[in-house]
Amino acid sequence: MSLNSTSHARSPLRNNLLVNIKAHLASIWNTVLQISRDPIGALGLFLVTTIIFIAFFADFLMPYDPNQINVLNRLADPTWEHWLGTDNLGRDSFSRVLIGTRVAMQVAIVSIGLAMVGGIVLGLISGYGPKWLDSLLVLIFDSMSSLPMIMFAMAVITVLGPGTYTLIIVIVSVSIPGYARMIRAQTLSLKNSEFILAERSLNASSGRIIFNHLLPNVVGSLVILASMDMPVVIMLEAGLSFLGLGIKPPDASWGTILNDGYSFIRDSPVLIIAGGGPLILATLGFTFLGESLRDALDPKLKKRGSK
Amino acid sequence: MSKLETTRRTFIQGAGILAGLTALPGVTWSATKDVLKIRVEKDIAVLDPAYETGMLEEAVIRSIFVSLIELEDIRSGSNWKLAAAESMDQIDAKTIRFKLREGLNWTGEYGPVTAEDVKYSFERVADPELKSPWAYQFEKLDHVEVIDERTGIIHLKEPFAPLWLMSLPWYGGHIVCKAAVEKAGGKFNVETPATCGPFVVEKWQPKEKLILVANPDWTGPKPDFNKIEFIIVEDNESALLAYEAGAFDFSKISISAVPRIQKNPPADTTLLMAQSSRYVWISLNLDHPKLKDERVRQALQHAFDGDSVLAGAYNNLVERSAGVVQPGTKSSRAENKINKVDYDKARSLLDEAGASDLMVKLSVLNTTTDMAIAQIVQATMTQAGITVEIEPYDEGVYWTLGDQASGDGWKEQEMILMAFNGGLDPAENLTWFRPEQIGVWNWSRYNSPEFESLYQQGLVETDVEKRATIYHKMEMMMEESGGFIFITHEPLVAVHRSNIAPVILADNQLVPAATKLFT
Repeated sequence: MSLNSTSHARSPLRNNLLVNIKAHLASIWNTVLQISRDPIGALGLFLVTTIIFIAFFADFLMPYDPNQINVLNRLADPTWEHWLGTDNLGRDSFSRVLIGTRVAMQVAIVSIGLAMVGGIVLGLISGYGPKWLDSLLVLIFDSMSSLPMIMFAMAVITVLGPGTYTLIIVIVSVSIPGYARMIRAQTLSLKNSEFILAERSLNASSGRIIFNHLLPNVVGSLVILASMDMPVVIMLEAGLSFLGLGIKPPDASWGTILNDGYSFIRDSPVLIIAGGGPLILATLGFTFLGESLRDALDPKLKKRGSK
Repeated sequence: MSKLETTRRTFIQGAGILAGLTALPGVTWSATKDVLKIRVEKDIAVLDPAYETGMLEEAVIRSIFVSLIELEDIRSGSNWKLAAAESMDQIDAKTIRFKLREGLNWTGEYGPVTAEDVKYSFERVADPELKSPWAYQFEKLDHVEVIDERTGIIHLKEPFAPLWLMSLPWYGGHIVCKAAVEKAGGKFNVETPATCGPFVVEKWQPKEKLILVANPDWTGPKPDFNKIEFIIVEDNESALLAYEAGAFDFSKISISAVPRIQKNPPADTTLLMAQSSRYVWISLNLDHPKLKDERVRQALQHAFDGDSVLAGAYNNLVERSAGVVQPGTKSSRAENKINKVDYDKARSLLDEAGASDLMVKLSVLNTTTDMAIAQIVQATMTQAGITVEIEPYDEGVYWTLGDQASGDGWKEQEMILMAFNGGLDPAENLTWFRPEQIGVWNWSRYNSPEFESLYQQGLVETDVEKRATIYHKMEMMMEESGGFIFITHEPLVAVHRSNIAPVILADNQLVPAATKLFT
């Protein structure tokens, strides 16, 4: 009987949840449709979807082990067996490009995801918390933002050594201040709005106000910012790997492939294309998608654009 | 006066004419009588012979200072010949009498080069308090006796076999001006207080170029070039492109470029390939807990596939080394004790040692060749069940890895891929593995009193055969310690204009004053 009463009590909640999920899915679908109608957005969406697909299914798509060395077949030209030829150690370049896609996505998604979480938490604390804490956090954000990104990355890598985790630490550290400042600004503008004041007058807890009202209202613009940051992070990872400060060998990264291509440009120019091509496509894809997403999600911008 | 105006049209016309001229089959590049342009990888930091670190520094020092004797081209056997000395007489095994040539003068107001300058130069390098890195080159020097202005006698504590190849014509053997150096405070950096060689420094633009011009007061054999330009380009590929565009007359190139150059050489170009004394090996830190067990170290030696490394990183242009001593000499070993890869043996040794899932760190300099070696080692050792983790480092950090003075970082090092520019005398290349070098350049931390004793015996032994036996034994001991995996002696690969005949020494440096121009 008690079970029945519980299930009865949960039904409206469950229904509510289902309605919410449906509404969100519909909203996402509408956004996707809206992006698809814009040629630039559609191209961006196609490129990003393809890149993510490759990242997920690289293991099935790779014709060879990307780290398999064959010194007797070094710097081979493209053939039907090796679509993008081989590198200076005889490894299949096409397989390395595919696995490099996964590395780029892993670093970018994990780093930006962690940076978003950090940015949201710190931004909300800064915007909604006491004044002294806000001042302290803003000082930290400003200090972090003033550091040149590459110099900071090189300093951290010198201390911790190169590798995927170090790269993620670097990217998260340099990205958090930007996200946190944006969340803080939005929190400051929302915390005295009427609906928040109404909640307060009903004795709503700070947690409820933050998680139920502030967070849903600020997270949208953060998603746009994050999508615009994807190409920056991909470029940073590739740049550091190009300099030998990123992904550790033998793992492939677009940056390391590009570096190999640069070293052997006169022997096998195709390596430069193999490393640079995906980098260009990924950068364009995420930039186009980000801009289109911004147009779709930011009504103010849409209005301005239509004028 | 008509005004010169450049419009887009005239610019394009001009550019077209220039492009056409360079495309003409008869237009080629060659060295001119006046200037020899040499591409170098690194800039100078010190021009004091007692503290230089080699490379461009040594090339410049050889041009602006003199030594009693000098070496001939490495390809002709590296025999020594008289240079600042007009005579060298070995009175006995411990006594050498020298007489300086007449007409050698210091720049400025410092007068002629004297035997007193020779005494000052050699004793200064040998002085332990001055901590010259080249002190070992004069470690058996007792003193130099000055007989008269141009004559002196070198007195040794014991017979010193490497004197003729490692000391007198080499880094520590350059003569500096006593009065000028003392006036400068006992040492100097890039501002040379007085020089006496065939060239003088005209201009130094840090990280760009260094220009030498003929010394007007030089009374020795006149060099074929009046001006030498050392142009600094770090990257080999960029350097080769610049060479092809006519920017240099001589440039070292990467080994990977050799097949391409052989197949399609640039106009008026000669490809130079010579055995160099630069030796490459993997250092295993004997003090690291992971490598304490001799069987683990031996397993790593057995799991090393030298053939793949030579094919993949060196295009099979070189052979496997059996030590650090210059190959092809009597003192070099014929082959390693562990000469072929044997994964089964490696695996069984690891099993015996209880380290079947061995994971080791290999620190490398972040260069194309070193990274290629490291990745081949990584891939091949996997077959013996060894996981190699590559740690690439930039030059600044890399050269502190095993240096005890830079902190405790050496304790973390497990394997390090290393390369040193060596010399012709075996002692020159073996000196870095003596106990006194532990934590300085002996990054394996190989500590063998017997090795030191043999080293000392080698220094005083003048019989070539007996000396060779000593060095064979020393290299065998190094290998048996498990602290070393010898890889190769890198080749010197360079391109130069066909109308010049460069003179190259064992440290891969070109000697501008001896380089000939054919007209």
